[in-house]
Amino acid sequence: MGNKQTIFTDEQLDAYQDCTFFTRKEILRLHGRYHELAPHLVPMDYTNDPDVKVPLALIVNMPELKENPFRNRIVESFSEDGQGNLSFNDFVDMFSVLSEMAPRELKAIYAFKIYDFNVDNYICKEDLEKTLNKLTKEELTPEEVNLVCEKAIEEADLDGDNKLSFADFENMISRAPDFLSTFHIRI
Amino acid sequence: MEREDKTITFQRLLSDESYSSDLSSDSCEYYQTEIFGLLPSTQTHRRAHADDITHDQNERLRLDRICWNPNVPLRNLPVCLQDKRDIRDRQHLQKRSIGSWDAWRRSQQTTRRRLKEQVGRAVSGLLPWRHMIHRIEGQFGVGVKAYFVFLRYLLGLNLLYCVIIGGSVLVPTLVYRGESTETQNPDWSSLYKDMFVGSGVLEKTAVFHSFYTRGSLNGACLNTPLLFLLGMVSIIFLSIIMLVRRTVVGYKHSWITGKHFSSNLSYKVFSGWDFSIQSPQAASLKQNFTRNELKMDLEEQAFHARVKQRTLTQWVRLVLFRILLNLAVLCLLTGSFMLIYYAIHLQQSCTDESTECVMLKYLPPITMTLINIALPRIFTKISEFEDYSLTIQLNLTLIRSIFLKLASLSIYLFFFICADKDYQFCQFGQKKNTLKPSQHNSTILCEENEFGKEMYKLTIFNLLEGFFSAFCVAYPRTFLVEKFPSSRLAQILGNNQFEITLNVLDLVNSQTVMWVGVFYCPLLPAISTLRLLILYYIKKFTVMRCCAPAQRMFRTASSSVLFHFTLLLGLFMSVVTLVVNINRFNPGGCGPFNGTRTVFDVTNDCKEMLPNWAKSTISYISSEAFAFTLILAEVVILTSYVSRGRANRKTIERLKDMLVMCSSDKRFLVKQHSTIMRRRQRPR
Repeated sequence: MGNKQTIFTDEQLDAYQDCTFFTRKEILRLHGRYHELAPHLVPMDYTNDPDVKVPLALIVNMPELKENPFRNRIVESFSEDGQGNLSFNDFVDMFSVLSEMAPRELKAIYAFKIYDFNVDNYICKEDLEKTLNKLTKEELTPEEVNLVCEKAIEEADLDGDNKLSFADFENMISRAPDFLSTFHIRI
Repeated sequence: MEREDKTITFQRLLSDESYSSDLSSDSCEYYQTEIFGLLPSTQTHRRAHADDITHDQNERLRLDRICWNPNVPLRNLPVCLQDKRDIRDRQHLQKRSIGSWDAWRRSQQTTRRRLKEQVGRAVSGLLPWRHMIHRIEGQFGVGVKAYFVFLRYLLGLNLLYCVIIGGSVLVPTLVYRGESTETQNPDWSSLYKDMFVGSGVLEKTAVFHSFYTRGSLNGACLNTPLLFLLGMVSIIFLSIIMLVRRTVVGYKHSWITGKHFSSNLSYKVFSGWDFSIQSPQAASLKQNFTRNELKMDLEEQAFHARVKQRTLTQWVRLVLFRILLNLAVLCLLTGSFMLIYYAIHLQQSCTDESTECVMLKYLPPITMTLINIALPRIFTKISEFEDYSLTIQLNLTLIRSIFLKLASLSIYLFFFICADKDYQFCQFGQKKNTLKPSQHNSTILCEENEFGKEMYKLTIFNLLEGFFSAFCVAYPRTFLVEKFPSSRLAQILGNNQFEITLNVLDLVNSQTVMWVGVFYCPLLPAISTLRLLILYYIKKFTVMRCCAPAQRMFRTASSSVLFHFTLLLGLFMSVVTLVVNINRFNPGGCGPFNGTRTVFDVTNDCKEMLPNWAKSTISYISSEAFAFTLILAEVVILTSYVSRGRANRKTIERLKDMLVMCSSDKRFLVKQHSTIMRRRQRPR
């Protein structure tokens, strides 16, 4: 209430506060981070909702995402055009879902999207192989990759179609004890 | 409708259709059918990715969302932010058309929710060391973070005890302290030695039991002994409640994961990457770790396959070998207990005040610590030879080490109690315990203080050991490895690893010591708090400066339950010890309970003051009949909960079956629908 910030209107901040898991202060801080990514592109004044999108290449260089093997997929899943260009809305949305206050169901939905590389609403064996290679920096032999993918699908697939639908994925991830603590980025 | 094969397991549904490969044209059509796009499950995905949804269906999607339950907070919706803002605007517009009562109610809900969130954030902001623990998590992973979180929890617990003791024990005694009966001047010359052993000057201060005399607060129901008793009892009850709650919550969590979670590759693939890692070294280490874990899991699979192929002779040989190794473990354990006994014996036999005796006074804790350092490592080695799977090896080592720690502590206490005098409990057979009772009776005025001194010594010694292991063991080793990396010694020693298991066991051990000793050394929680504070900074230094990120991290969810459970075991052991001690000491020497027959006699005066009906109720409650009724009621309640749990498990299985069947039904219906549509279009 003390500082007169001119980045957002009060109405906008309220909207952000209701639609995400962040407080006003955090949203302003997020705007600062977003601005840092592309200072010439991102205006400081957001009161009239400018249509500005920061490209993928700049976002994946953020320190929070730089070391993440899935950074490209994360940014693509939250972008509206699927290419990884994030508007500020998408930026805030991304960190809101990845924050520690987001519930498990919401995180499961987005985790499914992230691991679905070919965007067909199913995690098939190729998606799994890509996931695994990114996870281990391609240090497993092809036979090992094959074995792991087969075992993972066998464990989670409930309807027997050799790939994981969202229901299979959610059922499996709801039993994973570490999912909430690992699928979390602090910003 | 055609039904699939009836042999339904919850892992797979074997049907004629399920072995179709993804490359068949059939499945591509499935996702492109119009009806598939209209299914509610598809509509929850982002509209940008569902390219086959036409524009009017788009509109329908947006209109559908108006019906979203307004009680679900907006931020939980899995749609993009712009949609959320649109829904919010629409809700605001709706507010103008709904009554003012509804609007007020909704705004109250929002303010209440925001207030709750703010309070939650404020409370979690009070937690100390958040940034440091976050850094440690990023560099060393979730396992090391769990250790520091556990340390912080114990610190909070001890602070709570300090507050309780301060309020109910320390302050009343200090305020209402009677005439001081001290005639001799305190001997400050041996303060240095007294700090470590707890004798001399320290014995007459608030640290030990004898300080808390009855004083001038002498009402029947409000006197310092009663407050003392209340404080101690409330500490124990509080600990029980908090620990049981924490253990049960963790256990429920790991129970929900079900029976088939031993080596779940899907968890490691999908929730294996720790998204909060920010440094490149930690990232590459995590990748190595994931790779190693996956290799380990594949090995375990191969191991299970190998186990299935074991012949009978191999089994027999293996079982004999395992029995041999378990005997070896038992021998090691008994040997260590005998060592502790001899150490206590030596200590008891030395009663003069020379420096040699001071050193000998520390012999039992030193022996215990040495044993507790060496033996878990030996156990790890032994379990490698037993040819179990890796998870079972880990759990077995953990269980043996826990048993060792708690049992050695209880053996120490047992021998200490028995070595003291003619205690009936210790008389095995006809052989009378003739360990110099007379000598002790004459020199010891206050047995409670002696016991408190032992616990005090153990705590101080744990702190010294922390210092020692950090500055004299870990840091030189790091120094050596950094400055002379190519030397033989550095290569043999290798880099430090932060042994989470051993450190957590250490915490559990010291907390048990604190619980055992709090009745006789009421300032022990304060000392423990200080010790934990110092330990935090020592361990932080060790981890950040001297340790390389561990190659082998463990899953916190499953093992932290075990740690809380061992804390509970420690609490139980300390309660048993306390009961034994209260029964064994004849009050009358010192402390708040002198003059009374037993510790609980202080309550008798208060009981006399109560009205008759209260007295008869209390006498009924403490009678055997009531205890019997209570036990019966507990059995009934427990049975009902167990049967409810079983029924829930069956329901889970049934729901899984239903899930499987619904997916295949949906698939079948979609195919039928598209076939019919195709047939309808063909005759054109």
